[in-house]
Amino acid sequence: MARNRPLYALAVLALVLAGCSAPGSDKKSSGSTTGPIKIALVDAQSGQLSSLGAWELKGAKLAVSEWNAQGGINGRQIQLDVFDDQGDPTTGTNLARKIQSEGYLAMIGTAESAVTIAMAPTLKTAQIPNITSGQSPGLVAVGSEFLFLNGPTSTTYDETLAKYVVDQQGIKNIAMITNNGSYGKGEHDAFTKALAKRSVTPVADQVVTTDQKDFSAALTAIRQKSPKLIFLGAEEVESGLIVKQARDLGITAPFAGGAPQGTPVFLNTAGAQNVEGTIVSSPYLSNDISPASKKFADAYKAAYGEDAELHGAKAYDGAQIMLTALKNSNVATGKALADAIRATKYQGLLGDFAYDNTGVGIFATSIGKISNGKLVAATS
Amino acid sequence: MQVFFQTIVGGVSLGAIYALVALGFSLVYRTMGLVNFAHGNVVTVGAYLASTFYLSAKLPFAIAMVVAIGVTAVIGLVIERVLRPLENRDFDLMLIGTIGFGIVLDALVIMIWGATGRAVPSPVPAAPLSLFGLRIRTYDLVVLAIAAIATVLLVLFLSRTKRGTAMQAVAMDHEAATAVGIHVGRSNAIAFAIGAGLAALAGGLVGPLLYVNPALGGTLGIKGFAAAILGGFGSIPGAIVGGLAIGVLDSFAAGHFQGYSELVTFLVFTVIIMIRPTGVFGERTVNRA
Repeated sequence: MARNRPLYALAVLALVLAGCSAPGSDKKSSGSTTGPIKIALVDAQSGQLSSLGAWELKGAKLAVSEWNAQGGINGRQIQLDVFDDQGDPTTGTNLARKIQSEGYLAMIGTAESAVTIAMAPTLKTAQIPNITSGQSPGLVAVGSEFLFLNGPTSTTYDETLAKYVVDQQGIKNIAMITNNGSYGKGEHDAFTKALAKRSVTPVADQVVTTDQKDFSAALTAIRQKSPKLIFLGAEEVESGLIVKQARDLGITAPFAGGAPQGTPVFLNTAGAQNVEGTIVSSPYLSNDISPASKKFADAYKAAYGEDAELHGAKAYDGAQIMLTALKNSNVATGKALADAIRATKYQGLLGDFAYDNTGVGIFATSIGKISNGKLVAATS
Repeated sequence: MQVFFQTIVGGVSLGAIYALVALGFSLVYRTMGLVNFAHGNVVTVGAYLASTFYLSAKLPFAIAMVVAIGVTAVIGLVIERVLRPLENRDFDLMLIGTIGFGIVLDALVIMIWGATGRAVPSPVPAAPLSLFGLRIRTYDLVVLAIAAIATVLLVLFLSRTKRGTAMQAVAMDHEAATAVGIHVGRSNAIAFAIGAGLAALAGGLVGPLLYVNPALGGTLGIKGFAAAILGGFGSIPGAIVGGLAIGVLDSFAAGHFQGYSELVTFLVFTVIIMIRPTGVFGERTVNRA
């Protein structure tokens, strides 16, 4: 952020100057037809959620550099600029105004539903299409025709999970521990709903805060109910800490959850032997599921020297959809670009995308299990 | 009952860490009357250094800790040296200066180690002890022991050594101390170096308990600061009591109020401070602000 300060001051100055000039004379600030195609990537590059932001940046950058290597779109290169929202909705809304004033055609990000929801009204007014990595049902509730998701919503994740756990495995003695952030709250509501549909009531329903570090009280309460399974709705690091402390407290029941529980950060934080048997509902179980994912994982490894995972894959898919729509629409902007995204049918790493009116393009996840430190497809 | 005691055990282990952070805050405050707002960031730096020496350089955990404490103490010296011209001239600028250093350290951490964090495996692999149905992590006992030793050493240094007594003298009246030939700048430098060393000790110890990332020091810094205030800002025993109290309070609030625990913790904290503004041990020997 700090090194953008002079740039920011310049932008403010430019705005003031623009305000001084005659109305209608500043048309060239957006929608220009020459020069690079400007796309903004907004994500947490600092703060507790920065690992999400880092993965997302890597995935999106990979897609953009592939397109640029092939000559860009209509002979124009794609310029992906990174903005740090610090995982904070207020910072996000400021950035929304900034990318509007600096003439960005479209936005990729953020990975945090709360930030995306905060930015959505500004982006809607500015008619800037946005493909987010958030998955909260709240994103759909915003009802913006410029907001698209690059994965399924929590409802899909948790419905698939409940189906596997309750219907197929017959486990009914389930405890829940979720955080009160936008992701955790979405998971809590979606999973409770999925359980209620099967007339299952969780034996314990513990809520923790997003930056809590000691979970002894919540976990001891859960231990007393001796559940068969513990549903976990929290981000990567916190989930890892919860599992680590649960094992230290002598809880042996397996955990189950959505996207965060399939990540290496979760596994490393908790310790590989502690997460053994964790059930994960995810649209991207591993890098070996298809030739496309293998190709993606190889390119990712070559570019960044680390293994690809779900969030990078999601951002890659999202960026591919955005760029395909830009190409199909001959670098349209505003509503025309949003319509082009909606019309894009794309076979991605997560599955086949076909957007409906709510901005959701994919409606399925698979069930995986962590076995020997690796996430593999579950054999039911 | 089991929940009750297990909650205390959980709270005490993090409380010991808060106590170490609070000690650093208090030591600098009692010596200089200055709140070092970069303290939380120094904790982060300490945590990264310790984990780097432990994981990448493959040093034994204890040696990695000592090296990390040494390096961060040097950072403390640098901060003090840069701020020294402002000492006794512009106090507000000094405060802003520490905030500035905090931002610089934060940026440096992200530049060197990246925005994503790392998990540190526990250096004490032994299984948790089981005692009357309570589970106590062996590593927690190590943390408590080290925190206790560090406190005792600090108290001995302040009360038994010439340098320590000189620091106490500066804390009470720096003009009189200067008059009898005590080098105030050096005394401040030592306070900053020890404070930073304590921060590194807290950061290094908390690594295996939590997850080392750039935001680590932020939370610990706020809780540690609250602990120092609660115990009586500037008081050494106050920092220990305050740290443990915040840890246990936090743990109980989490159990009873779940999602609202943070709110409850700080509400209780505010009420205590309103009743007793000087904190539990409220020895306000320092009043240079």
